[in-house]
Amino acid sequence: MVTVEEIEHVSKLMKIDVDDHSEYLEKVQTMISYFDILDSAGVESEEISMPEIPIEQLRNDEYIPFEDKLIEKMNHYKGTFVRAPKM
Amino acid sequence: MNLKISALEFIEEAKNGNISVEEFVSATLERINSVDDKLHAFLSVNDNALDQARNIDKKIKSGEKVGDCFGMPISIKDNMCIKDTKTTCASKMLENFVAPYDATVISKLKKQDAIFIGKVNMDEFAMGLTTEFSAFGPSKNPWNIEHVPGGSSGGSAVSVSSYECIASLGSDTGGSVRNPASFCSTVGYKPTYGLISRYGLISYANSIEQIGPLTRTVKDTAFMLNLIAGVDPNDNTTVNNNNEDYLENIDSGIEGKKIGIITEMIGDGIDPDVMTATKEAISKLEGLGAICEEVSLEMVKYSVAAYYTITATEAGSNLARYDNLRYGYEMPVEGYEFNSYISKARKNFGPEVTRRMIIGGFVPSAGHAGKYFLKAMKVKSKLTKEINDAFKKFDLLIAPTVPILPFKIGEKIDDPVSLFLVDINTVTANLTGKPAISIPFKIVNGLPIGIQLMANSMNDKMLLQAAHALEKTVTLPEIPI
Amino acid sequence: MTKIGLEIHCQLTNLQSKLFCSCKANYREFEPNENICPVCAGMPGSLPRLNQEAVKKATMISMALNCSTPEKIAFFRKNYFYPDLPKNFQITQLNIYGDTSVGGSGTITVGDKKIRITRIQLEEDPGRLIYEGSSSKNQITLVDYNRAGTPLVEIVTEPDFETPKEVRDFLNILSDLLKNLGVADPSLEGAMRADANVSTRGGNKVEIKNIGSFHDLEKAAHFEITRQESLHDRDIPIAQETRHWDDRRKITVSSRSKEEDLDYRYFLEGDIPWVKINPEIKTELKSKMPESISSKKERYVTKYQIPEQVADVLSSDKFYSDLFEESHSETNAKEVANIITTELMGLEDTREKREASKLTASHLKDLADAIQTGKVSRNSSKNALHEILKTGKSVSQIISELDLGNVSDESELLKIIDQVISNESEAVEQAKSNPQTINYLVGKVMQATKGKADPTSTLNLLKKQIGI
Repeated sequence: MVTVEEIEHVSKLMKIDVDDHSEYLEKVQTMISYFDILDSAGVESEEISMPEIPIEQLRNDEYIPFEDKLIEKMNHYKGTFVRAPKM
Repeated sequence: MNLKISALEFIEEAKNGNISVEEFVSATLERINSVDDKLHAFLSVNDNALDQARNIDKKIKSGEKVGDCFGMPISIKDNMCIKDTKTTCASKMLENFVAPYDATVISKLKKQDAIFIGKVNMDEFAMGLTTEFSAFGPSKNPWNIEHVPGGSSGGSAVSVSSYECIASLGSDTGGSVRNPASFCSTVGYKPTYGLISRYGLISYANSIEQIGPLTRTVKDTAFMLNLIAGVDPNDNTTVNNNNEDYLENIDSGIEGKKIGIITEMIGDGIDPDVMTATKEAISKLEGLGAICEEVSLEMVKYSVAAYYTITATEAGSNLARYDNLRYGYEMPVEGYEFNSYISKARKNFGPEVTRRMIIGGFVPSAGHAGKYFLKAMKVKSKLTKEINDAFKKFDLLIAPTVPILPFKIGEKIDDPVSLFLVDINTVTANLTGKPAISIPFKIVNGLPIGIQLMANSMNDKMLLQAAHALEKTVTLPEIPI
Repeated sequence: MTKIGLEIHCQLTNLQSKLFCSCKANYREFEPNENICPVCAGMPGSLPRLNQEAVKKATMISMALNCSTPEKIAFFRKNYFYPDLPKNFQITQLNIYGDTSVGGSGTITVGDKKIRITRIQLEEDPGRLIYEGSSSKNQITLVDYNRAGTPLVEIVTEPDFETPKEVRDFLNILSDLLKNLGVADPSLEGAMRADANVSTRGGNKVEIKNIGSFHDLEKAAHFEITRQESLHDRDIPIAQETRHWDDRRKITVSSRSKEEDLDYRYFLEGDIPWVKINPEIKTELKSKMPESISSKKERYVTKYQIPEQVADVLSSDKFYSDLFEESHSETNAKEVANIITTELMGLEDTREKREASKLTASHLKDLADAIQTGKVSRNSSKNALHEILKTGKSVSQIISELDLGNVSDESELLKIIDQVISNESEAVEQAKSNPQTINYLVGKVMQATKGKADPTSTLNLLKKQIGI
């Protein structure tokens, strides 16, 4: 069972301000409880696989500048820096 | 002007000068004007469409080489970047975002003289099945506007089925192209994973999603695939299809092909009308010379749970970049500290996205990854093994695209698990990377039912041949709008 | 018992482009945010494109450090929020599904000790932050993404170091090795950074981050050991924590621990398939790898009979070992090595001096030959070298212009020797009874010839003339 505290902890981790955690609690609890079904899948011994690519097909090491001035298309920039809040 | 033609028919007419592109596009814009208030497929319409159409007419008249699309109007789901155009993902978080570059599929279609008639509605950041989670209001099913059009590529399906455009590009993570295609009675295609470049597609679950066309006919889909498929240096996950021609020999038929009926996809909970339609489709296929037999994919039972666990994890990471610093919406940084700014800015995500992000932070986290995320990845592996085994015996697999008929707007929005389960027949193709197509098959009580076919990886050509064969046996009533 | 482990981050500055896009790898010449593209700036819809040469270079580094190299490598996401991280996750490598980072366990010899390498991983550098505004209320963070995406190789060691000096020696060896491989220029500002973990007397491990240079690393290790020892002495337990190195005050300071909230939620990077590095590629890389320092040293000693200490110095320096290779012949290798290590390195002790020098490999060869054939004495050769660096004139030109020519003509030398013998009859008598004192007479001959006489021939002739 997921608790309100766990939901608060996760929303901090994900950097989302959630005003009323209990509002989400019910729906999130229901969704996560549904995932418990995975326990009966019997997959403990399965290996995780991924697509592969041979090293020869990777990008060549070449400097190609981007054709536009990307910084001008961003919000919140001053001069040529992106402005962010203080740390 | 008859808008009820397929892409290939349009191109033929435009090439021969029987219709002018300008007139067709103008009629399309009129159509959008007259029906979209009711349907709400479009988030934005292209102001330059008529000018672009005129230019193409000029090129045709002067004998200059014209791209293969001949100005056909295509709608684009609003999660694909068109340079200098607003790309919002139907979210308030990106309501001001203007893309600084073209997605690869967009550049390819631009080169072929397609006209992007507008950006269409979707569930916010592609998370949803009904387009009800759009921050800008839901789209409506043109067959019955009180019903959902499906999602997340709802706007795509609506715009094609209601003749607001000739074709559309959507994206399919768990059924998001096939599901609305089925609900709105259009063809909807999800290619083999890696066949179409995702560069410029705003990621939701990058390890399983693909861009896919929605069209009126299977041949139209094959035509689109010829234009946009193929390896892309900008996307390391694309695969080489050796410039396959998907239109060539599309009439081959399915004589002798073995088709597996997935037991777990016609199980409990399937609507009796949908079951009947499925049986009819199977008869038709047998009539064409196919051999149909049941096959079991045990992991399908766990596929929905695995799907939502994996996609929430990937979404939580893919959406982390939306901190409103470089792009997003207007919110000045002065007076804030970094963490408080971001946390407040990200309140602009809708409730469904917020829920998925919380789940996405939870299921791969240190204390829980073993129980949820890693298990889900293992289910994905085992399901892939099962379906690969099935394809040793069968050429194709069949099931209804959605086990239920299009439901009413608002009906499932408060019941998350019931909503999840609408995906049960479609997520398998995404989790395993196999190509899948939904073909419009039947209308029951005014609501559409689609049939889904799947093939093994890289067998997209054969899949389209089978779909085309089935499509030829179907006649559907006119859409009532 | 002190234990120190290191995490070294080294930028692959010799690459042309970044790890996942085609922007320039060495960002230092650009104005802020002029070296960016949708990929390294984390724009929506952008995807990473892995740099083939980066994988090869990282594999070479792993091989040079005797690390195992897996057949397939994989990339992972490390998820956290920070303004210098454009995607708010870093693409890096881990070994949670078997060995998937570019280098597995290996060793490197430091002095007479073997330091174990835990693993080597390829990852992307974040951007850079500067701060504007003075008061804490008005402060704004300014972000420059030029560095974001620069390829980094992270080398992680076991806590095998016991003293700060061992750390320093290791860093010098590593630095030379990376230069020798041609993968990086460690002298570039910010090209090498390190974190350390320190534990003393079996106590808790303390991590020290934010050490900006190798010089500071030794200082930081030293400070931290002292700090911990003094706590031990007062029976105060060492807290397991992360501290950062305060560059100004030269101390380690406890970081406000946000660590409890940090859960990186590591998972496979779905945008990059596993990369297969087949054995043929590895063989090709190995054959293309520049000769290792230890192998060079071995060759210098056994093939050219160069003294070990000289071979040590010469082999560790890529610039001079390259010069040596170019300038020596079958016969003068030892002499060339000698000139380089005893004279040249001292004269060209800065990058500017090296770049301004007009010396070429053929100069060196000619000079070594001149010394060996006695055309110029070793003493005079120092002056010659000075001139060569300054003017670039040929060796023969300089010898005649400066009149450095050796008095090697035996008859001339004999004349001078006879002269000295007749002038120094007392010394000659002394030398007859105590042969060691003959050096005084040698010195007199050198004086008379203004240092141009060859000392060996002089000594031999003197002995002959005196009859000892």
